[in-house]
Amino acid sequence: MPGPETDLLQGTLDVLILKTLSWGSRHGYAIGKWLENTSDETIRIEEGSLYPALYRMERKGWIEAAWGMSELGRRAKFYELTATGRARLRAEVAAWRRLSGAVGRILEARV
Amino acid sequence: MGWRFWQPSLPREVDEELAFHLDMRVRDLIAAGLSPADARREAGRRFGDLGAVAAECRTEGARRNRRMGRMEWLRELRQDAAYGLRSLRRNPGFTAVALATLALGLGGTTAIFSAVNAVVLRPLAIPRVDRVMLASEFSDGHHGSVSVGNFVDWQRANVTRPMFQGLGSINWRSETLTGDEPERILAAEVTAEYFRIMDVRPLVGRVFSEEEDRPGAPAVVVLSHRLWQRRLGGDSALVGRTILLSGRPHAVVGIMPATFDFRADSEELWVPAAFTPAQRAQHDEHYLTVYGRLRDGVTPAAAEAMLVEAHRELTRLYPNANGNGTVRLQPMMEQFVGDARQQLFLVFGAVALVLLIACANVANLLLSRGAARSREFAIRASIGAGRGRIVRQLLAESGVLAVLATALGAGLAWAVIRALTGAAPAGVPRLDQTRLDLAALGFAAALAVGSTLLFGLAPALRAARADLQSTLRTGQARGAGGRRDFLRQALIAGEVALALMLLVGATLLVRTAIHVQRVDPGFEPRGLVTARLTLPAERYAVPEAARGTFESVLANLAASPGVRGAALTTQVPMGPGGGDNGLIPEGKPLESSSAVGSALRIVTPGYVRTMGMVLQRGRDFGPDDRAGMPRVMLMNETLARALFPGQDPIGKRVACCEGGPNDPKWKTIVGVVEDTRSRGLDRDPVREFFLPMTQAPDVAWNWIGRTMSLVARTEGDPLALAPALREAVRRVDPALPLYRLGTMEGTVSTALAPARFRTALLSSLAGVGLLLSLVGIYGVVSYLVTRRRGEIGVRMALGATPRHVMRLVVGQGLAPVLIGTAIGTLGAFAATRLLASWLRGVSPTDPLTFAAVVVVLVGTAAVASLVPARRATKVDALEAIRTE
Repeated sequence: MPGPETDLLQGTLDVLILKTLSWGSRHGYAIGKWLENTSDETIRIEEGSLYPALYRMERKGWIEAAWGMSELGRRAKFYELTATGRARLRAEVAAWRRLSGAVGRILEARV
Repeated sequence: MGWRFWQPSLPREVDEELAFHLDMRVRDLIAAGLSPADARREAGRRFGDLGAVAAECRTEGARRNRRMGRMEWLRELRQDAAYGLRSLRRNPGFTAVALATLALGLGGTTAIFSAVNAVVLRPLAIPRVDRVMLASEFSDGHHGSVSVGNFVDWQRANVTRPMFQGLGSINWRSETLTGDEPERILAAEVTAEYFRIMDVRPLVGRVFSEEEDRPGAPAVVVLSHRLWQRRLGGDSALVGRTILLSGRPHAVVGIMPATFDFRADSEELWVPAAFTPAQRAQHDEHYLTVYGRLRDGVTPAAAEAMLVEAHRELTRLYPNANGNGTVRLQPMMEQFVGDARQQLFLVFGAVALVLLIACANVANLLLSRGAARSREFAIRASIGAGRGRIVRQLLAESGVLAVLATALGAGLAWAVIRALTGAAPAGVPRLDQTRLDLAALGFAAALAVGSTLLFGLAPALRAARADLQSTLRTGQARGAGGRRDFLRQALIAGEVALALMLLVGATLLVRTAIHVQRVDPGFEPRGLVTARLTLPAERYAVPEAARGTFESVLANLAASPGVRGAALTTQVPMGPGGGDNGLIPEGKPLESSSAVGSALRIVTPGYVRTMGMVLQRGRDFGPDDRAGMPRVMLMNETLARALFPGQDPIGKRVACCEGGPNDPKWKTIVGVVEDTRSRGLDRDPVREFFLPMTQAPDVAWNWIGRTMSLVARTEGDPLALAPALREAVRRVDPALPLYRLGTMEGTVSTALAPARFRTALLSSLAGVGLLLSLVGIYGVVSYLVTRRRGEIGVRMALGATPRHVMRLVVGQGLAPVLIGTAIGTLGAFAATRLLASWLRGVSPTDPLTFAAVVVVLVGTAAVASLVPARRATKVDALEAIRTE
């Protein structure tokens, strides 16, 4: 499907996942859907690429997983932010704000 | 969320999670109006490469699991450590004894090993020190100094047959550092090659050049780090300036690094030897110490052979100067460490014995504790604790114990080293440079950890294996009791054996010390004060001037109030100075092979009386024994026996010190004095002879460096004479420095310092060893009493008296003690031979010492087992049987 697809960098995907989880625990499918809806489909990811990222972040200790029951009564794996993950998110957001502010100022500068 | 604890395997986890995603997507797509088949296709397309994603997730997941495993392990370790700490805190008695025991053993071993390392094992800070050799003239079984002439000829031979990169000489003498406060310091005259052979770069500046090592060259000096720091302010700008030595300006050309100060009392500055042509031709005066660095690939044997051959030629050319001597090479390190090696290895051995006793003790403690807790283990096992878990907890407990003990031991070692370097006798080189040796601490800690873990684990394994039911029923792990008791008793026997060896060694040294206190020194040290006086060579070059000055000083001193007697000597007993000469009795051929070596003292009339020595036969020197009168000498009994066995030496004539075959300058023996312990109360007397100062050969003033000791006797405090001594010198020449002023009693005491040091050390180690063994015996007997409470109760119920019970318990405690005593006696019999060279007035296998030690050891062991045995008699029979 053609569209304004943005090639997501690995690190960016991680931050987005962290942000998604900052409101509470979710399973993988819900994370993907939330990203899709919130960004008005501007950000399109190959759904499969979400999962290696989740495992990797689990290894790094940013998120924790536990098996639970989905809304529809199926067994699902739920992810949750750890304290480390929360700190990581704060740092990434701050860095992002600084970067985007600077880039924005450059792009909007009048010659 | 009901399945909180459900944890699938990793492949299932990945498959199930991905399947859930696809199913949810399909469901949403169907809800949006797609057909089930289309929805499935679309979901797959959106997901991407399912296989690749699953594989990647499994790889990441495996890594995640490994990390979690590690964290889990760490968490459990923390838990175990906390558990270990808690359980140690619950048993403060056990913990304190175990910790103290281990820390003592560990700290002691580490400290002593550090000292051994500093003195013996650590090489000197000289590159490839193993290639540096001491070359000495060797005759009559003695390594001797080298004459300048011989040294020069050795150097020449080394040019023809190069075996050494170079040969350098060093010769020590004292020097006055002039300044606000003149000070006598030890200086060394070295040849330019000396520093090149040592191969140590100066910290600042440079060492001597060949040109500076020639007579008439401008006076230069290289400073030691110690002198530079201690006296000269440690300023690098000093290089290029001048300092005054005996009033003469010397340009400072370099400063050596601190590592070149090999010992606390080594020389503090170096000046060029600058041998004169006359000195270079002199083969008769042997006073140089010669070092050489072997060329690459040259063996010490080959180099020695070269020198021996060169020396044979010298012996042929100068038979009187060199006699039947030859040359010996010896590694510098060996010469440097010398005597101290044996001493430190002995101490190290003793400390190792204490460490072994400590480990055996802790092993015993842990065994008892493990046995006492077998019930606890059984209960824990019955409520589901895995065997691995129980073992881990016990290991953690032992581990915590070992870690704490290591920390304490390290602190103790540090403290002991500080004390040791503070109290070290000056004679042990480099002892003051001892630093805490981490390798030694590591080794001792490994031993401590190893034995703690081993003996902590043994009961745990046994408990984990033990029959649960029977353990819970009887309250004790009965089945394994026999073997464990054997192990326990074997440990006690071992401890007792080791402690006995230590005690015997210490007792022998203490008896030596007592004997030495009672040894007659051959003179009366009480009431004597002594001091050294050196006349500068420049102003007192003429022998008559030196002789006259010393005579005036002596006259002043003798006339001072309070002085009961005064004399001069080149060397007081156990003091600095002195030299050896060869004597040939009349009738023997006048060649060096008939010479008998003996220590020479040049003295003034009245020396014998002032010192309180005993004139055995003949007379003392008198005022008529002057230059120009018949030459006379005194000698001690030992020399008289060696020269004239079985004859009266009075009136006999002896050649020595001067003259030659054509003019032997005979000296007549006018008196024989009793031997003095001139090298220390714990050393045998040596051969000595005495010449009157007024008849001493002129060349002797150079031998002794125009230095003599003043001796004065008084009633009461000898130090009260100190002002009189100073005044006597000041009135003759106010610029003369008087130094080493002190009492003769102090000198005697200093000479005994090494012996006192080793006696104190071995005694305290033996004390610690004994104490540790007693604690061990007490612990084991206490344990036996606890374990046999039931049996004792039954016996008492059946009419056994408390006496019976006591005998039973004490007997059981003493059995391993007696076995250990037997083994230890045999061991001590073999080991005390190593002490033989330090023992005086007592043989290494002295039966009285052995008997006393055995009695003390068995006696104290009996007392240690009596305490718990008394407790056994208090057992309430009924109570004991009921709990059984």
